[in-house]
Amino acid sequence: MSRTYLELNVKKHEHALHDGYHRWPEMGFEPPAMGDKRWPADLILSVWTQAETGAPPTDGSEYRVGESGGGFDLLDFKTLPGGSQLAPDAPVDLSIPLNRRGAGREIEIPVPWYGGGMSFGSISERLMVARAAAAKKWGTFTSSGEGGYPMGLYPLRDSVITQIATGMFGVREETIQWAPMVEFKYAQGAKPGLGGHLLGDKATVAVAEMREAVPWVSLFSPFPFHSVYSVEDHKKHIDWAKQVNPEALVSVKVSTPTDVDMVAVGSYYAGANVIHIDGAYGGTGAAPEVAKKNIAMPVELALPKVHRFLSEEGIRDEIVVIASGGVRTADDIAKAIALGADGCVLGTTELIALGCTRCSNCERGRGCPFGLTTTDPELSLLVEHDWAVERLDNLYTSFKGQLEQILRALGLASIRELRGRTDLLRYTKEA
Amino acid sequence: MERGRLSELLVEAERRAAADRTPLPDASRTEAAEGGCGVVGAASSVRVSGSVFLRSLEQMANRGNGKGGGVAVSGLDPAFLGVGPEVLNTHHLLAVAYLDTSVQEGVEREYVEPLFEVAHTFDVKAMAGDIQGVRPPDVRCYFVRVRADAREAFARTHGLEGADVAAVEDEMVYLNSYELNTAYYASTGEKRAFVLSHGKDLLVLKLVGYGDDVIRHYQLQDLRANVWIGHHRYPTKGTVWHPGGAHPFSGMHEALVHNGDFANYASVCSYLEQSNRHPLFLTDTEVAVLVFDLLHRVYDYPIEYVIEALAPTTERDFALLPADKQRVYDLIQRTHIHGSPDGPWFFLIAQSLADERRLIGITDTSMLRPQVFAMQQGQAGIGVAASEKQAIDAMLDSLSADDPRFWSRADRYWNARGGSHTDGGAFIFSVHGVENGATPTLVCTDKFRRVLDVDRSKLPPGEESEDAHRGQTEALALATGGLDAGEVFVEVRGRMAGWGYGDVRAFLDALVAGAGTDEARDRAFAVLALLLDRRYPTGRMKPSVIGSMTEDAVNELAAGIRGAPSDRYVWASASAPLAGSVDGDVVVVFDAAGSDAEGPRSLARQLVELVEVGARRIVVTGLRGQRFIGSGFGVDTDDVRLDLFGSSGDYLASGMDGLQIHVHGNAQDQLAQIMKAGKLVVHGDVGQTFGYAMKGGDVYILGSAAGRPLINAVGRPHVVINGTALDYLAESFMAGDPLTDGGFAIVNGVTFDEDGTLIEMDTPYPGGNLFSLASGGALYVRDPRGLLGVDQLNAGEFAPLAVADWDLIRPYLEENERHFGIPVQRLLTVDGVVREPGDVYRKIRPAAHHALTPEEAWVHNADQNAGQ
Repeated sequence: MSRTYLELNVKKHEHALHDGYHRWPEMGFEPPAMGDKRWPADLILSVWTQAETGAPPTDGSEYRVGESGGGFDLLDFKTLPGGSQLAPDAPVDLSIPLNRRGAGREIEIPVPWYGGGMSFGSISERLMVARAAAAKKWGTFTSSGEGGYPMGLYPLRDSVITQIATGMFGVREETIQWAPMVEFKYAQGAKPGLGGHLLGDKATVAVAEMREAVPWVSLFSPFPFHSVYSVEDHKKHIDWAKQVNPEALVSVKVSTPTDVDMVAVGSYYAGANVIHIDGAYGGTGAAPEVAKKNIAMPVELALPKVHRFLSEEGIRDEIVVIASGGVRTADDIAKAIALGADGCVLGTTELIALGCTRCSNCERGRGCPFGLTTTDPELSLLVEHDWAVERLDNLYTSFKGQLEQILRALGLASIRELRGRTDLLRYTKEA
Repeated sequence: MERGRLSELLVEAERRAAADRTPLPDASRTEAAEGGCGVVGAASSVRVSGSVFLRSLEQMANRGNGKGGGVAVSGLDPAFLGVGPEVLNTHHLLAVAYLDTSVQEGVEREYVEPLFEVAHTFDVKAMAGDIQGVRPPDVRCYFVRVRADAREAFARTHGLEGADVAAVEDEMVYLNSYELNTAYYASTGEKRAFVLSHGKDLLVLKLVGYGDDVIRHYQLQDLRANVWIGHHRYPTKGTVWHPGGAHPFSGMHEALVHNGDFANYASVCSYLEQSNRHPLFLTDTEVAVLVFDLLHRVYDYPIEYVIEALAPTTERDFALLPADKQRVYDLIQRTHIHGSPDGPWFFLIAQSLADERRLIGITDTSMLRPQVFAMQQGQAGIGVAASEKQAIDAMLDSLSADDPRFWSRADRYWNARGGSHTDGGAFIFSVHGVENGATPTLVCTDKFRRVLDVDRSKLPPGEESEDAHRGQTEALALATGGLDAGEVFVEVRGRMAGWGYGDVRAFLDALVAGAGTDEARDRAFAVLALLLDRRYPTGRMKPSVIGSMTEDAVNELAAGIRGAPSDRYVWASASAPLAGSVDGDVVVVFDAAGSDAEGPRSLARQLVELVEVGARRIVVTGLRGQRFIGSGFGVDTDDVRLDLFGSSGDYLASGMDGLQIHVHGNAQDQLAQIMKAGKLVVHGDVGQTFGYAMKGGDVYILGSAAGRPLINAVGRPHVVINGTALDYLAESFMAGDPLTDGGFAIVNGVTFDEDGTLIEMDTPYPGGNLFSLASGGALYVRDPRGLLGVDQLNAGEFAPLAVADWDLIRPYLEENERHFGIPVQRLLTVDGVVREPGDVYRKIRPAAHHALTPEEAWVHNADQNAGQ
């Protein structure tokens, strides 16, 4: 049977795209972008390498830090004397629990990360499904984002955290009942206080149908929840989700205002299992430029503040702190944990693994040259399922290996022992 | 002395006092962030006991976390405090909390004896032991009067000679307490003693714990007072809490409790500093009462202006004020905007004035915190305001058991519309005549001091006697005769106006007593539901009393089923669950009294479990504010029906995806959030944020919605609101095209008077934001007089009602008629003439705002590609 024009066209582009990663250096034109200070070209290429090989590059390319001149990029781990380190083959435990309250369902993920919320609408169904499939393979999770469950996600729903964000698009009782964990998204670090936006270009007929809104009309999630204006409202909101699904764990995703520590404590007392601190450096190109990096605190500052505060309150060991918003590399994960997190959420890194070059065209429906942040039915075909899952799988393998090495070098047998160990970090600018 | 000059001198006096006390605490950040709280207050023409107030506080404990609770009382029973009325009314009641009793002597030596003549000292009795690991303070009350020589010296020093004696004395008391607090509580870091309150006939008690702990700990069950306010606190920070941080906080002759959170705490502090006032306790509640006292006592603003300064009138509401008011309000806003708390807040204030005891409730301009007001007027009168309606009902319930002059339902319940030109977002319940021995009366006014009253031609049970049994035989015949439920109701409705309470009682008793068979029980439930749900003429009787009697009858009917269950009617409760599965035909009568409001043992979960074992028809009785009812049932529940009697709680029907819920009374906040399918019928009002992000299903509301209904609704919700909504109705509505399977809401703008007559409201919608930024769906508003204006719209537009529109909404209005007895014909009747639908209803649809219209459709044949 002969292939249709569309299929041939997709095949051609897919090939060019996938193969292009290798050919770009000798090609006569520039890629649409090649990173920025936070994600320099080296880092992007290193992630591509890891996504292909399952290991960091060996050619001397930088794969651990960027060039932002601050935060994670100026932190490194101390070098311990050889005797304090573990043997290169010593077993190391990377698992973290997502429920430490001592009651309710126990969920442990074998690696200290899960995927961040990207909605159907912000990304394509294909990409969502690939992320979920990779998460399932690894026994971790991805998050639905705020846009409902396309059909392709149904078989994978045990690996999907359901997000309840302020527009509650696509949130139904059923989706809450499916979820192992419910994520209340109060704010996103990249655009705190601005709610959510899906511009009309991306609200295709299929996306709008999922959200039960009007096609091609920009969709805005308000800030904040109209039903939550206080911590008592917040508790009631969590109680509601628990009523709908008593088995689900509850995560509260917030940005990093100066009183983020208070927010964390309030969430704990409201019954949250996870407090998800989203710093200012995350977000796709769809987040308004004026907001990114200009409103909330960097996550590197927020984490120790929250960790210390929860410790002083005597509740640190009952709640899980998850960091996101600028966590790019295995090193970043380890650093975030040393600063006080239990684990991390990966977002942009996964997109990079699938070809993203940070060209910041995410808000347009057909803006993404790699078929990632698009809902265009043709463009999204560029993300081929098995290819995408394999790349994410490889990336995870590489991250796992690096984290194990970091722990062995620090003489720690478990990632849980690293939490809050700022004493193991050094500031590289002074050195 | 001229009043303006006096204000200046008082402010100056406070500057001197502050200057003597350095360093002052850093007021740049509040000590404890809080936002969530539960508040309740009551003002009654007869003194209400602490045990009555206790009930409503207990039932709202889930709004606090036990880290702070308090009450304030005014209109006190002097005997309880061991004084006579004269001392109570003329002396300042200085209540000092001693955390460390060893400082008592020092405090008295330094801050009581030099300034005051003490008429009487009263130690508040207390239970032994700690609460929440913290010892509540010992409280000593001093009835004091400023010594004449001290007053004269003070007046000389501060240029206050010739000033009003009471004003000078108040200021001296105020400053003395400020200094006491600075010395013994705030500055040293060691917290040993502080002033709870110091007004006349006003007492504040508070501790670490819940609000109801205060009543138990200080044994206030038998304390009777005209005005009560109470508070549960929900601070989120700190491992150590102090009673000093709990609410209420005192100004001078008022105490304030607060539910909310200020974004501009620091700004309000700066504003206060300009008038030489320095907060000592570092919570936003303290600064709120300091602003109130500054404006009310020091600047002598009338209460209307104080409220305007706190919750400014804005936008369209400002434009609708009379010109002279606009001028004054504009000046107030210019001068005091920095003292206006920014953020979500609801204040309840107990105030003691020379000739009046008050309960004041004020909401922020945007109405971001829950608030309900209620009033009952009979032989006695009571006004109540609270965070939740169920707390009001709990109080009335316990009050009616305590005092036969009250019954368990208010004559009216309502929400304030914040910063509005209509009511100003505040109500004042005033008790007059407390101090002079006359029979006190209760009057309710809004911010503009317009009186809000009940239908005075209706009489309460005790006053309605001569015709109490006029039609008893006919009532009995109806209850026991062979008519079906609908026919009985029609007969009763037609005759009720001629009946007395005795007849109603006889009818209800006979109806319940006769409900031995399944058929009779069906009939009894149906008749009682109709009596509760419908509005009809009641002659000289009060509908609220008949409602209260009917609810009692429902409970008696349930008790009868408990005693004699049948194949089709069974009874269950949290402590007496059903064993095994339930047949779908069986009606389960579930008593909610023993079920939690939330959590694993919540009523909502128990109902889900009942459905899981097969129940399809559940009648819930005795609701006490339990939350989330109707949530968690999941899909495929189209055949489930819940009937709810009593006070249902927040988040009712939220997530609902298929069942049917009938609420036989008012409902509370956050109803039908993300509701997807099914039917919700509310025979009363609904609270805030109703239908948030609703996706579908049919909702019928007899009354009105409070603020922010139907925001972000998508899909295909069909909603009929017979009353109106306060503001932000259907903001960001995105529900497709109503004519092709999208969603819509109908707003009828009608209500009933207390005699059951359907009347038009002043306007079908009073708010300034209607259908704002909506991109889909439509509103159909009954507005035959064209009262709505384009200035209420933001990205919406009026459109004529097409035939297709009427064809769309008519079936919903017909169903509305079946639920509520509001005939479509009546809705189309204007000034006695039946009009064309297009002359009565107006359609509001999204205007072609460029940000809210489809972007260039760049995908060819988008519809065809959609499935890929």
